[in-house]
Amino acid sequence: MTLVAEGLSYRHAGASRVALRDINLSLADGEVVGVVGANEAGKSTLCLVLAGLAPRVVGGQLAGRLLIDGEDVAGLAPHRLAGRVGIVFDDPGTQLSGVAVTVYEEVAFGPSNLAVGRAELIERTEWALDLLGIRALAGRDPARLSGGQQQLVAIASILAMRPRHLVLDEPTAQLDPAGTALVGEALQRLAASGVSVLLVEHKTDLVERLASRVLVLDGGRVALEGPASDVLVDPRLPGLGVAPPARVRLRSRLAEAGLESPALLEAIAAASAASVSAPQGPASAVSAGGPA
Amino acid sequence: MPSPETPAPAATLWHRLNPLTKLVAAIATGVAALIAGGLLIPLALIAGAVLLPAASAGVLPRLMRAVLVLTLPLAVSVLVVNLLFFPAGQDVLFRLGPLTGTADGLRYGVEVLVRLLALSGGVTLFYLTTRPGDLTLDLERRGVSPRVAFVANASIGTVPAILERAEAITQAQRARGLDTEGGLLARARGIVPIVGPVILGAIAEVERRTLALEARGFGRPGRRTLLWEPPDSGAQRAARWAMVLALPLLAVLRATVGLP
Amino acid sequence: MTELRLEGVRFDYPGGVRALDGVDLVIRPGERVALVGQNGSGKTTLVRHLDGLLRPTAGRVLVGGVDAAGLTVARLARTVGLAFQDPDSQVFASSVRAEVSFGPRNVGLRGATLQAAVDWALESVGLAGEAATNPFDLGVSRRKLLTIASVLAMGTPVVILDEPTTGQDLRGVLRIESILDGLTAQGRTVIAITHDLRFAAERFDRIVGMRAGKMILDGPPETVFAASAWPALRTTWLEPPLPALVGERLGLGSTPTDESLVAAVGSTGGAALSG
Repeated sequence: MTLVAEGLSYRHAGASRVALRDINLSLADGEVVGVVGANEAGKSTLCLVLAGLAPRVVGGQLAGRLLIDGEDVAGLAPHRLAGRVGIVFDDPGTQLSGVAVTVYEEVAFGPSNLAVGRAELIERTEWALDLLGIRALAGRDPARLSGGQQQLVAIASILAMRPRHLVLDEPTAQLDPAGTALVGEALQRLAASGVSVLLVEHKTDLVERLASRVLVLDGGRVALEGPASDVLVDPRLPGLGVAPPARVRLRSRLAEAGLESPALLEAIAAASAASVSAPQGPASAVSAGGPA
Repeated sequence: MPSPETPAPAATLWHRLNPLTKLVAAIATGVAALIAGGLLIPLALIAGAVLLPAASAGVLPRLMRAVLVLTLPLAVSVLVVNLLFFPAGQDVLFRLGPLTGTADGLRYGVEVLVRLLALSGGVTLFYLTTRPGDLTLDLERRGVSPRVAFVANASIGTVPAILERAEAITQAQRARGLDTEGGLLARARGIVPIVGPVILGAIAEVERRTLALEARGFGRPGRRTLLWEPPDSGAQRAARWAMVLALPLLAVLRATVGLP
Repeated sequence: MTELRLEGVRFDYPGGVRALDGVDLVIRPGERVALVGQNGSGKTTLVRHLDGLLRPTAGRVLVGGVDAAGLTVARLARTVGLAFQDPDSQVFASSVRAEVSFGPRNVGLRGATLQAAVDWALESVGLAGEAATNPFDLGVSRRKLLTIASVLAMGTPVVILDEPTTGQDLRGVLRIESILDGLTAQGRTVIAITHDLRFAAERFDRIVGMRAGKMILDGPPETVFAASAWPALRTTWLEPPLPALVGERLGLGSTPTDESLVAAVGSTGGAALSG
């Protein structure tokens, strides 16, 4: 089961400049691919194209092929793609349907649009709530949750449509550290469940933690691509508008000063591992970041 | 924990009524009060179709508060204007400088007020005893297009959202030195910097929401699966028809026999 | 020179939620202060007291020694410039230049002074070449820089930025950092709300940590990110920057930034590293 883009190029309606140029990528089951790059490098546009929203909903011109399990789905209506590729946006609030009174109904909104049977609707909704660890929020009003909790609801709402591939466009951009931690943990669980994830993020520390491969976009093209461990230490990253992860920055600063030593590297590795696993604060997806 | 796929059974009989039944009751109460005129029938409607069900549903204090807040300014002005300026006012109650209060004016003012209370009370009762979204579920079940139902439901939530946004924008512009505490001219200057972002923001939000909805399969034509269906009954169906048919009957009675 | 002083400030939202619970804080002229803490901890509520958008339920706010209670927001805006977090809740003009002129015009700048203030602000945020552009043709990250320029141009002695680096790429963050340096060089007070503790540690003299309407930490980065403060930080989901963790592990004391860690390692001559 793979999502493959072959030579994708895209131009926004009325724009003179091409937003995406000859993008090739593939996303295998259970794989997390990070996408980084400067603002306006084409990251969000790539998400829209992969989810079938561009050009079908936003207009513009698309060239190239978008294959899911070998079938070309470029230009297919979004609702026909919804059960195959899901998309999560950065803004927690505007992703809510606006008509659901409870988190449960919010999560059920997608599959109910797809007209799955009622028993399956319930089964999918509860599966998605459990996968995100938000069953305890089921009866709450989605509009009254913290940003981090709303993002978990948004992800669950997409997953309830059972896509095999999930595209996330800066899912933590508007969240505080607690919310970012919640979403980070949820994404780790997701990848373990076999869903493949394309994660667009400015926070390279999060990308380093989650992604096995990383693409760097620049001016609509793929500028760098490879295993996360190579791309995230690439000295060209800052020139491409991307801040390297804290660990990488610190190591290169020490190397510049001629101070790198095995003991230091070990301390850095241990400290970054500890900081990742540190149970920050009252660490429960449900209690954390509750509304004021 | 219990699965919340269907909402917890509502507390009271009135809450459990089908949303359409409650909506028809609310509208019929208001319209009947308008048609009937006078004092007796509207007061009876307020007592029987608003206060009694509200008390049985346990929302009487909340209903009184909401109706008071909603109608107080209008009620005061209706009373004052009619009391003092009713054109055909004869029986003088009091004189206060150039102003004259008449009993006819007072009586007419009270009549208008009572009809207003029947209407706002009925609608408030509906809102206080119906889970938002249930009406749309019910309409969808009856074959109304999901899109129409969605718009109806979403627009109920839109007004508070816009007000909230306007408040945030006003704060941001005041922080940039916009004087909203000054005179009329100063306030007038603030209209564009506040209304502009409200409109532009609403447009941008519609775009974002459209994308999010499309991504959730909302563009798919045809019926959706409903998570649950608000229950209905033959008795309720009969009651709805009875309420609707009572309105023309009331009008005919008023025109022919006359009403108290 | 404008000193900011909060004395026992408490603030309850209508409906009873207590957003500030007894805040005592003095910010001296020219200081650079980062406010950190979870959403809902009271950071934004606090800064809105400084320009009068919110008025304390109890306690006093003094701006330049004057009780803010006696001053309108429009008056306070001549002293305290506050850039909101969301550009889309304020941008309204049809050109970048007009948008940036709005604030300084409100606070009384006219003619050549106004032009100069606007030019300088646009230059600072790197939008000098876009003066005639419609703000909505800018991407959201540059629109955010535009809102910062709108406040810079007011020339206030105090500048408050709400999450300036959110949504910015590396270039945007570097741009913000140079704006901060420019403001400090002019002797202006800078307060920034931020979730980026690395940014706070590297770029601010003083960090104030908030939780549930109270100040729980206040001091220079070396103090706020010292190991003794970690438990307090973590109660509010704040994770100390990596160099602080590494320095503690190596017994080098408090090293909140890469630079301070490099200096500490260098001064041991590598001796600390064998342990």
